[in-house]
Amino acid sequence: MKNIFAVAGVVIKELYRRKDFYVLFIVTILICLVMASVNIFNDDKIVRYLKEICLLLVWISSLVIAITTTARQIPAERENRTLLPLLAKPLTRMQLVLGKFFGCWIVCGLTLLCFYIFFGLLAGSREHQWPALDYFQAAMLHWFMLGMVVAMTLLGSLVFAAPSSNSTICFVVVGGILLVGRHLDQVALTLPEPARGITQVIYFSIPHLEIFDTRDLIIHNWPLIPWKFWGLALLYALAYSSVFLAGACLAFRRKAVN
Amino acid sequence: MNSARTYGLLLIACLTLSFGLAANLQPQFVAWRGSRADGDVFKILLGDSRKLFANEFFTKADAYYHSGFYPTIFDNNEAFKTAHMAEDTGAVGSKNHGEEEQFMGPPRDWIEAFSRNFLPDRHTHLDEGGPAADLSQSGSVREILPWLKLSTDLDPQNVQNYTVTAYWLRERMHKPDEANQVLLEGLRANPGSCDILFELGRLYEEGYHDTNRAVNVWLAAAKNWQPVKGDDDTVAANNFIYEKITMQLGEAEYDAGHWQAAIGWFEKAKTVSRTPEVLQERIAAMKQKIWGPAFEPPLFIP
Amino acid sequence: MTTILKADKLRVEYRSREMRQAAKVALAGLDLEVHAGEVFGFLGPNGAGKTTTMNVLLGFVPPTSGSASLFGIDVRQPIARQRIGYLPELTYYYKFLTAEELLRFYAKIFGIPRREADQRIDQLMKLVELEHARKRPIRSYSKGMQQRVGLAQALINNPDLLVLDEPTSGLDPLGRMKVREIIQRLKQEGKTVFFSSHELGEVETVCDRVAIIHQGELKVVGRVDEIKKAHHANLEQAFLEIIGFQTQPAP
Repeated sequence: MKNIFAVAGVVIKELYRRKDFYVLFIVTILICLVMASVNIFNDDKIVRYLKEICLLLVWISSLVIAITTTARQIPAERENRTLLPLLAKPLTRMQLVLGKFFGCWIVCGLTLLCFYIFFGLLAGSREHQWPALDYFQAAMLHWFMLGMVVAMTLLGSLVFAAPSSNSTICFVVVGGILLVGRHLDQVALTLPEPARGITQVIYFSIPHLEIFDTRDLIIHNWPLIPWKFWGLALLYALAYSSVFLAGACLAFRRKAVN
Repeated sequence: MNSARTYGLLLIACLTLSFGLAANLQPQFVAWRGSRADGDVFKILLGDSRKLFANEFFTKADAYYHSGFYPTIFDNNEAFKTAHMAEDTGAVGSKNHGEEEQFMGPPRDWIEAFSRNFLPDRHTHLDEGGPAADLSQSGSVREILPWLKLSTDLDPQNVQNYTVTAYWLRERMHKPDEANQVLLEGLRANPGSCDILFELGRLYEEGYHDTNRAVNVWLAAAKNWQPVKGDDDTVAANNFIYEKITMQLGEAEYDAGHWQAAIGWFEKAKTVSRTPEVLQERIAAMKQKIWGPAFEPPLFIP
Repeated sequence: MTTILKADKLRVEYRSREMRQAAKVALAGLDLEVHAGEVFGFLGPNGAGKTTTMNVLLGFVPPTSGSASLFGIDVRQPIARQRIGYLPELTYYYKFLTAEELLRFYAKIFGIPRREADQRIDQLMKLVELEHARKRPIRSYSKGMQQRVGLAQALINNPDLLVLDEPTSGLDPLGRMKVREIIQRLKQEGKTVFFSSHELGEVETVCDRVAIIHQGELKVVGRVDEIKKAHHANLEQAFLEIIGFQTQPAP
């Protein structure tokens, strides 16, 4: 485990020494503050549109950080030849893959922590309430969803030729699942065979990332999600992440390092 | 040195030529039919597609009215054809039918059943307190206003944006001045609009308690109203607002003791109403109350 | 004498992507042994199979057949690399890390306790003369400084076997002298050094034994002076003769 966390530590250092996170965070803050300064019929209690805009930016930023950070990990190691001195140490390839996964996932977690703290402050400044448990549930679901995305992107980085193509494909897949993943079974019913069968197979095999999108519950102050379902969702995310990671480990075993 | 001076002079000459040409062509550009120089920023950036965005934001406002419990394009939206936030103003005819709680239908598989635990799950309205059903929070309807404002900015010709916004500003936010501003802005963009004039009248009546002013505005609305031809929905909506206008005028005249005028207005309402028998009963009751069963004076037609 | 490094009928073939082309044989049954405490030079022209041999020994590439072991442990086991240090030919490290952070990272992988790692890092920074730059990111280093960082990371775990791939490549004469000094010091400490190089003059100076490989086959292995004596020539001429290069007679 120490090797895994050693590799993860390097990934975390890379995050706070690159500009990606800071740029996205500052852009989010600026846009939210501009939106907050808009005068809407002289009412300063209107807050939900602001919460929605902020959460949308948080989701977009977190996905950008998750996918772009992960997509370049192993390809950059190969391209920069830092992989050779690394694998010449008593470090297995599986430990390297897991280390990269945990590093990127922890990076996502730290990013989300900053974003959600800002979101909480922004919403709280108008609502004068801080439903910490609701935010905690939403943030954890979001984090575990990003875990699935990171694992998927890591597998993609070992399958696809270039980080750019991997990133593009991951963005398209993740965006597609978030927008229409829930409705694929309905769409399947309107299609003739064999398209119906294929769509249903896709529906049952994709990771349903949209389950973890609880923005509506947060924006509109719905009650807490029952903890058992929340826990099951986290387990679902761990299961899918494990599947992707297993695939990544298998793919990396066969990959040439130079 | 010489070449630097030459380039400098050439640059100045080019700039002078450019500015001169631009100044010379400016009047022609402004007069050009396709010019966007006098358009607002949304018109310039989005063109006609701004109406699509406006519709989208209007629907978004209704979704907010329901605290997120709202059908997508994949769900059964028969019960949401008319936005509930508009229907609840009492000034828009409803095209809704069907079950508003069950638009998703029963879950088709375990994934969908599981995912519903992470979505809003009840039909609520913000003006009734939202998911908490807390009537003291009925002011939460304010949350729909940003989307309505955006929809208005994108499509100034959609009068429902103005009337719905003004209604909630007046009714729940207790901001008659802001409502007045919205409606006047709507009238500037849509001169003589019956819907806006009707809502303006309601504002004067219920917001400012100025019945005389309200009646004047409703009279102007009634005067501007014209029957239309077209699909059933358009005709129905047009007739509905006329019915509302004439009913309000009838009520105002009745309250002022001008019973004959009131009956006249109700008779007009009856001509476009979908439930004329209800109005007929009301008229008959009024006549009986005023003149008794034996006496029936000539009908007063304003 | 204890055998530190052993290759037994090591064969590596690379399959061609072209359908009709036969697999390329990079190593054809290499037998090699390196004993404890010796400095062993691994020589050969470009494309001879030196890097492939190192890749197999370091576990980067699995052999097609045969076996290789380090300290008696199969090279495919990660633990086989616990006691080795490796300096690649082209030294690239994480540009966003400082030299100190890089060494600390590698020390963690070796499981070196924090206090001991700090001491090792201080010693190595002094040894490779990078104390003044230890807290600067590696992206700001010159080529020579990066090479020295590479040497430092190869020594972080106080290895018993040092594997160096062209260690003096790209270094100025002063840098080369420093590397030679380090190799000789390691030898005095009883460490084993296995390195490949094109600098035959250096090889003559520091190596106890050399092996010459050509087209994937081991041509000769033995002490430098024995090889020179056998071919009645200096090491360079002997090398050229062994790989089959006909020298032009002087005009």
